[in-house]
Amino acid sequence: MRKELLYEISKKVIASVGVQNVLHAIVESITIGTKAKGCSLLVLSQEGDKLYHHVSYGISKEYIGKGIVEVDNTVRRVLEGESVAITDISNDPRVQYPEAARREGIGSMLSVPMRSYGGVRGIMRVYTSKGRTFSEDEIDFLDSIAELSGLVLEKEEERDRMVLEANRAREEVSRMSDERERFLYFVRMVAHDLKAPLAAISSYIKVILRGNAGPLTEKQETWLNRSVKRIDGMLELISDIVDLSRLEAGLIYPELAGVAWKDVLDSCVEVARGLCDPAGILLVKDIEPDLPEIFGSEVRLCQLINNLVSNGVRYTPRDGKIYVRARDVDDSVEVCVEDEGHGIRPEIMPNIFNDFFKGDPECLEGTGLGLSICKRIVQMHNGRIWAESPAPGKDIGTLVTFIIPNGSICNLAFGEAQREEEGS
Amino acid sequence: MPIKILVVDDDPDITDVLDSLLESEGYDVVIAHDGEEGLDKIKEENPDLVILDLLMPKLDGYGVCKTLQDPRWSRWKDIPIIVLTSVVEDVSQRRYELETGVRMNVDDYIEKPIDPDAVLDRVGKILARRE
Repeated sequence: MRKELLYEISKKVIASVGVQNVLHAIVESITIGTKAKGCSLLVLSQEGDKLYHHVSYGISKEYIGKGIVEVDNTVRRVLEGESVAITDISNDPRVQYPEAARREGIGSMLSVPMRSYGGVRGIMRVYTSKGRTFSEDEIDFLDSIAELSGLVLEKEEERDRMVLEANRAREEVSRMSDERERFLYFVRMVAHDLKAPLAAISSYIKVILRGNAGPLTEKQETWLNRSVKRIDGMLELISDIVDLSRLEAGLIYPELAGVAWKDVLDSCVEVARGLCDPAGILLVKDIEPDLPEIFGSEVRLCQLINNLVSNGVRYTPRDGKIYVRARDVDDSVEVCVEDEGHGIRPEIMPNIFNDFFKGDPECLEGTGLGLSICKRIVQMHNGRIWAESPAPGKDIGTLVTFIIPNGSICNLAFGEAQREEEGS
Repeated sequence: MPIKILVVDDDPDITDVLDSLLESEGYDVVIAHDGEEGLDKIKEENPDLVILDLLMPKLDGYGVCKTLQDPRWSRWKDIPIIVLTSVVEDVSQRRYELETGVRMNVDDYIEKPIDPDAVLDRVGKILARRE
């Protein structure tokens, strides 16, 4: 009961005035209240073999600096719960620094344990100038106050521990993000080094295919054409990885500017036409006029829509249609890209926005990064993206919709823009 | 007199491909392996067109563009330039703008790998525009 009550009081007092202030108030009040010379709280070292002055009142710096108090038999008895009064300092062998005590003018000394929930924290010492005894009442009262001090100390340790842990966690997070940035930088560098030789190989083959190195047999031409396709697929994969690492590292910061949806959609429709026409696909656009401007990356928004359209083209048969729609809905712009392909199987639907996920792993086309890049671009603009298959109201096709709020503030993984690191 | 094209690229395979491609179309080809050599060749050879890589040792393509804007190079400041690089166009434009405050003044921008027909087409168009 006493302990709970003290604990409650200490919690409230600490919350309002702070641990150190409470401890100072305790030693000061005891000194004045008991008409003593001074009072000290001595805290047990971690090893449990020494005591250190934590807070004191009424005694000099010289006395505090006299040396470390060893945990001898007398101190041990106090730590075990006994109150020990030394009524005549000058003639008691239990005093560890008799000379210092005499110089300080200490006549007698009462030591009581400072207990708390976590065990004993140390001892509280009351010093008087004249040699005197302590009544049982006095000892009992000081015992309670010592216990209160113990609880306050425990609170302080708890707080220190929490601060320490919070710092450690912060350091860990910053170390991990440093490592992540280094890794993403490494990925970009490797990707660019892979790109250069591939670009050279592809360039050679294309010149050979043009006949610049002499005539080709039909088989040579077929195989070289296939080689170019494979190499271009690899180049596409490398570009996607570079894009992904740039998005992840927040390197798109310099791209951010006021962007008109109209410009984005116009340029995307033009690209979409270039993809649809040769594939014999009809492009149907339904874009509201007067769409607003947002703060974002025009390049990335175009990449987003182009990725969706090129996905659609890949799966839509000749004479099929691809729809690009955009409208203003509740302070957001909603963009839909719908195709007439064979759709997405329901069991793979939850995975389609994952990195390197391919609906058909055997398929040589596509890198499995297209939609995950789309998702990142949308998230960077604080929007949402989702897919439905079959397209609503139809039994084929896929509808991908994304919504980006008009007042969007771009959120970047790491706010700081780094210098462009593109290599050839 | 045949039309003279200067190719500036540090990748010998790329210069080889362009050399053979452009020669086959009757162009006279001069090769430089970095930006500094590129500038020297511009002075010595007075080419009709420059195909310029961006990331190169010694002096990069950005540096070549910057130098050509210097008044001391005014004789060559209008020489047509096609940038041929694996750096995506918007990325390199942004970098050039950040460094100089102006847009990179080039006549065309082609990304690697080289598509021979596209390169010849752009070269033809730019030269036609000049005449």
